[in-house]
Amino acid sequence: MILSRVADELYWMGRYLERAENTTRLLLVTEELSTEVLGLDEELARCEWNDLRAIFPGFPDGEPPARHLTGLAAASLLGLSIDAENRHSVFYSLKKARDNARSVREALTLEVFINLNETYRELEGHNRRQLTDPAVFRSALQLTHRGILSTVGAIEHTLARDAGWLFLKLGESLERVFRTVVILRIKLPALVAAEPKIDLPLFYSQWRSLLRGLSSLENYRKAYGARLEPIDVLQFLLFDAQTTRSVRYGASTVKDYLDRISSASELSQPARIVGKLAAELSYQGHDLIRDGQILGFLDHVLAELARAHDALSTVYFGT
Amino acid sequence: MKWVAPKSGFDEVFDPRGQPRAHYATIISILESFTREDVERRERLQQLTLRNQGITFTVYGEKDGLERIFPFDFVPRIIPASEWKSLQDGLVQRITTLNLFLADLYQDQKCLKDGIVPAELILSRREYKRALLGLVPPRKIYTHVVGTDIIRNDKGEYLILEDNCRVPSGVSYVLENRNLLSRVFPEFLGAYPVRPIRDYPTLLLETLRFVAPRRGQNPVVVILSPGIHNSAYFEHSFLAREMGVPLVEGRDLLVEGNHLFMRRTHGKRQVDVIYRRIDDDFLDPLAFRRDSMLGVPGLLNVYRDGNVALANAPGAGVADDKSVYAYMPQLIKYYLGEDALLPQVPTYLGFKKDDFKYISEHLDQLVVKTTGDAGGYGMLMGPFAAAKERESYLAAMRRNPGNYIAQPLVELSTHPTHIGGKFEPRRVDLRPFILYGDRIRVLPGGLTRVALRAGSYVVNSSQGGGSKDTWVLAPRES
Repeated sequence: MILSRVADELYWMGRYLERAENTTRLLLVTEELSTEVLGLDEELARCEWNDLRAIFPGFPDGEPPARHLTGLAAASLLGLSIDAENRHSVFYSLKKARDNARSVREALTLEVFINLNETYRELEGHNRRQLTDPAVFRSALQLTHRGILSTVGAIEHTLARDAGWLFLKLGESLERVFRTVVILRIKLPALVAAEPKIDLPLFYSQWRSLLRGLSSLENYRKAYGARLEPIDVLQFLLFDAQTTRSVRYGASTVKDYLDRISSASELSQPARIVGKLAAELSYQGHDLIRDGQILGFLDHVLAELARAHDALSTVYFGT
Repeated sequence: MKWVAPKSGFDEVFDPRGQPRAHYATIISILESFTREDVERRERLQQLTLRNQGITFTVYGEKDGLERIFPFDFVPRIIPASEWKSLQDGLVQRITTLNLFLADLYQDQKCLKDGIVPAELILSRREYKRALLGLVPPRKIYTHVVGTDIIRNDKGEYLILEDNCRVPSGVSYVLENRNLLSRVFPEFLGAYPVRPIRDYPTLLLETLRFVAPRRGQNPVVVILSPGIHNSAYFEHSFLAREMGVPLVEGRDLLVEGNHLFMRRTHGKRQVDVIYRRIDDDFLDPLAFRRDSMLGVPGLLNVYRDGNVALANAPGAGVADDKSVYAYMPQLIKYYLGEDALLPQVPTYLGFKKDDFKYISEHLDQLVVKTTGDAGGYGMLMGPFAAAKERESYLAAMRRNPGNYIAQPLVELSTHPTHIGGKFEPRRVDLRPFILYGDRIRVLPGGLTRVALRAGSYVVNSSQGGGSKDTWVLAPRES
């Protein structure tokens, strides 16, 4: 049992750290795909950037869309990497996670703080001009990505499995499943609609990049082989019981943490919400995908996750 | 490696003939064995460690409360056992007196009746809390943690410069400096019998538990911090980690049924002892400053009922007021019947008419300070100030003379400090930390602050100061 404020800070530290990881990964994947398809289909490259901006909606409203693709790409890259004002930039998330960590350092180990602090300082040291060189940009973000993963490693290896750890992991898992659903919700309409028109290699590139964007390409291949069938990819990303990025796995992880946080005698309100959601995901499958109800279902999942977050704040953080 | 000789004053390392003092000979020969490249490499490592571990302080008035690394100089300050013994005795005498004085001020006020200190001086201090009159804190201890500033004059005599009875900070850097030095220059410590300081957090926790009102059970101790934007936040968090106690903010606490609780994810828990790192005025908006967002409404009533202990006790700040300081030798005599073991700096009080006249006529020779401020803020260094600056300062003094004191400029001792590839003399002071629990304990060491700018007298971290590891040597076995 810990202070509500400390639980709140750790929960958000988990969320921001996970968000920083997601943004970094998506930026790297999008940059790569956009470079790959640029010469073939400029419109597709533009869609990729616009999707990314919809997934991480931190750009100011009313900002005029860049007329040239290179402008759009550069603005998105810089905006989502080191822009301190963009609420979804890697820098912003890392800064927030570090602020959370600084304010509850007594609940963390030195290893966790040092890894996070170094990663943040490293990124802070880059300036915009350096990062306009794509090679520099890629290596800087890869370094950040490694730093985030080593922070996560320090969390796994050095933190006691106490209430603080549970709240940190809860934040991380909730952010992960939430972001996965957002990515699917934004990417799927175009992907599904594009099916008949587009030429095959490009078509598969997009599905492959969706899997890579969700750190799931290797795991998918292990389960289904190298062939990318849209229905299999969807089945895998939504309902697979073992891959850590699937929506089903994510929801049941959130449920596990919430169950452990709940008092022994009674399940808390957030635990009930996510428990029902996890059960639904365990029993759903192909039918939903075949019947074209997937987008509506994703909206339902997002709404339930938001409800769980609100309930958490009320029950545990007193906010 | 080049050593620059001090031009004037007392140097900690070199005697007036330029020869190293006996207790520094070994460290000098170790340093001499390094090349400039060795030293620079180690210094880079040192910087990186400070940065990565987030050993910082926050500077006010800059954007977002900028985090800065507290500069560290690796040449340690060494205090021989015999010198430390007399410092320690003098500090114990002083802390004993400060507590007797506070107990008297908030009870019978004998010292005021006997005219040892002018009553109007005490009663006009903002730090004197009338609301606490007649209240006896748990175990009658007012100053659980004190940090006393000590300097050395040009003869090498140790002088008390200031008592800090409110929320003295810096002890985290004392401990971190030792860690850092043993990591970056492991050759140093092995060569000397340096007294360890690592158990300070354990001793602090014992001190705090000693005053818990609920006896016979495991008391809940917390550190109360104003939060992440406070300049000493690193230290608050450091001490919480080292003691294994919760670091709380005002919003984490609540008063119910005249007991204090902290809000937790699964219900609340009673708190017994608060090591508070916020000023009196912000502790309780119902008792002191009404606009305080940092404190806990109703806390003072809980304290009054004896249901929580506060360290240091509210109202203790009046004892370290810079004008009360002037009366310390008399107070030591009054309460203990002893002469002060450690001398202090002559002090002129703006509060006294004659003194004020003297101050205003000799402003170019004096250092003037406001009585309630700390951290080197609100100070005038008369000998170095421009005439215009002195005039406007004097004008401000005339508006509230009681708020000022003045002291002659003391030529602080210097200590070789690594700057730009050379060892240059820089002025230093010393802040030992004293704990008052079941007995008075002085941490064998302290924070040596160093004015990094050439010629500067100001050692405060907020004004370009750094720090050094401070070694107290164990007595030789006879």
